[in-house]
Amino acid sequence: MMNRRRFLGSVGLLLTAACSRRESRVSVGTKNFTEQLVLGELLAQITEPRVHLPVERRFYLAGSYICHQAILAGRIDTYIEYTGTALAAILKEPVRSDPSEVFEIVRREYERRFQLVVLPSLGFNNSFALAMRGEDAHEKGLTKLSQLAAHAPTMRIGVGYEFLEREDGFQGLARIYGLQFAASPTVMDLGLIYRALQAKQVDIVVGSNTDGLIAALGLVVLEDDRHYFPPYDAVPIVRPEALREAAGMQAVFDALAGRISTNDVRRMNYAVDGEKRDVVDVVRSFRESKGL
Amino acid sequence: MNGQSDIAIEFAHVDYVVDDKRSLLADLNLSIHRGEVLILLGRSGSGKTTTLKLINRLLDPTRGEVRVENVSTQQWDAIRLRRSIGYAVQEVGLFPHYTVEENVALIPKAERWGKQRVADRVEETLALVGMPHGEFAKRYPHQLSGGQRQRVGLARALAADPPILLMDEPFGALDPLTRAELQREFSLLRKRLVKTVVFVTHDVSEALLLGDRIALMEDGKCAGVFSREEFLGPSDQRVRAYLDIYRLNSRSLEH
Amino acid sequence: MNFLEFVSKHRAEILTLSLEHLTLVAWSMGIAMLIGIPLGVYLTRHPKVRGIVLGTNNVVQTIPSLALFGLLLPVAWLGARADRLTVTALALYALLPIVRNTYTGVSGVDPAVLEVAKGMGLTQREMLWHVELPLAAPVILGGVRVAAVITIGVATIAAAIGAGGLGEFIFRGLAMVDNNVILAGAIPAALMALIADGAIGIVQRMIQRPR
Repeated sequence: MMNRRRFLGSVGLLLTAACSRRESRVSVGTKNFTEQLVLGELLAQITEPRVHLPVERRFYLAGSYICHQAILAGRIDTYIEYTGTALAAILKEPVRSDPSEVFEIVRREYERRFQLVVLPSLGFNNSFALAMRGEDAHEKGLTKLSQLAAHAPTMRIGVGYEFLEREDGFQGLARIYGLQFAASPTVMDLGLIYRALQAKQVDIVVGSNTDGLIAALGLVVLEDDRHYFPPYDAVPIVRPEALREAAGMQAVFDALAGRISTNDVRRMNYAVDGEKRDVVDVVRSFRESKGL
Repeated sequence: MNGQSDIAIEFAHVDYVVDDKRSLLADLNLSIHRGEVLILLGRSGSGKTTTLKLINRLLDPTRGEVRVENVSTQQWDAIRLRRSIGYAVQEVGLFPHYTVEENVALIPKAERWGKQRVADRVEETLALVGMPHGEFAKRYPHQLSGGQRQRVGLARALAADPPILLMDEPFGALDPLTRAELQREFSLLRKRLVKTVVFVTHDVSEALLLGDRIALMEDGKCAGVFSREEFLGPSDQRVRAYLDIYRLNSRSLEH
Repeated sequence: MNFLEFVSKHRAEILTLSLEHLTLVAWSMGIAMLIGIPLGVYLTRHPKVRGIVLGTNNVVQTIPSLALFGLLLPVAWLGARADRLTVTALALYALLPIVRNTYTGVSGVDPAVLEVAKGMGLTQREMLWHVELPLAAPVILGGVRVAAVITIGVATIAAAIGAGGLGEFIFRGLAMVDNNVILAGAIPAALMALIADGAIGIVQRMIQRPR
């Protein structure tokens, strides 16, 4: 009898300890790919001097669901999400293509359903991108996807497996832009698409807008002028408690809003993945160059 | 409940059959007077423990009626019945995870006596059975000798001051010296307390020492109820058998 | 940097994740005991239901933990929050050893002692509280011990679905291919399990008085 009471007593004590609120530090989360690590590191480095609290880095969380759970539970205070992902995967709303509409829905619903704050975009979009060799694009005078239909029959396209399978993937793209390629799409590992493009095994590939190699190889991304791909604007998600209780937190996001261009991200991604430089150094150099 | 009748416990044509085959008691008729010590004497399997358990309703009669204070056991609320009856058994009695104090205090606490009243009563009963409170109260049963355990068992049975006491070979597992000691103390105690006691034993000398009347149990029947004198006097053949053993034993002691 | 230096540098984080881990374990064990012990007692009174209950428990235990998390994810209120889901799944796993041991412990109490208790005039409830549970306690604790160790272990997997805890280190370390990080999660979890096992074992011995 005594022993059971003692046991339950210690359990209760542990619980109260674990549940105690920790606004004594700011916790930044990221998903587990390079771009996220770069952005998370950037957030962390900028937060430290402004907020005068220790910044905890909870990086490499395995995906949107996990980040979402972590911020709901208060284990992280902020992370960078993409508006399209937030809309489809987390809010489970039907896909739309107008970036401001998507942002507005995400902002409103996150506040309503989760009491989380969605702040304005960092300045870039990480959606799907059709990239071709620079010289090819200039030769053919291609800047927009709507111009592609005329040239498609002489080109081969390379895609990742997932893009081919997705509902909003290849089929829809071909339909919206009236694309008929020389052959059916060549499916390959996402890590190899740019190599294949360079080696002229394919003439156009579908990758991510912020892939490092796009800048490094001087590739040209064709503009999605019919807005087929949903927007994936990079926006910070924050817990309102963090904004309230960590003085200076708002200033962090104000400093970043709209300051990161697509090319900035591409270059940082390449620096880490291609040049194998340390994330912390890459971010630090970036900050110096931008005066952040 | 009727007024003060002379009969505290009564068995009327009681059968007890187990598994539809084995008859442990057959047509048992027995009256136990208020305030007396009635011994149930007999060999193993004679039905004496079964008889005892019918009184506090650990068992229900297959046929016939058992009446306590003139009310059939079937009509009593079982819990109330048992709490009006002290129950002391051999060996297994005390709860090993409770101290002496906690064991004795169990029923008074269950009866919601106040804390002080319970404490006083525990001290009182332990003194009654010859266990000085200070020394033994906080000990656990495994820290006591056999004799001490039986004393505590008796104290526990007496704790709520029940009018009836059932004792099932309480001194059986003790060595002869301790047994004699406890028997002696019990007869002294019995003079101070006015209780109806039903005492089960197979030991003739114990029966003669402690009992007012002796009910001889044989094959699930009561073969007769005798006073001490009647038992010792020249009479029943069945009694003779027991008596012979008794005499044999006492004679051997005289040497 | 060697492991000890790593631990020293990241001790705040290790502590945070350890507390998260413990919270998950504490909640699930609490729920499992609150449901499991009465259920085990119930089974001793109603032997007919025993087969179904223990059988169901067994089935749940057989489901691999990650699969169980996945199965519970679409369940409305549960799947919305990773901690709820995790605590539910962990409690389900902890249930079997606790129910089974409670049943075994209580039904293993010496019937002679119970008879005396009954003869003294204790009600069913009083017998449960004063006799059956205390005497069955060492066996029940044995079940709690097994459940605790299982729960601590399975809780590491919970990080995969976003519940936090020491598993987060392990998954992060795997993604970073960094052994220090992996160990920073694995070793505290293992230690926690060992300590729980040892501590409950000590309590078991303490209450197992010689008879």
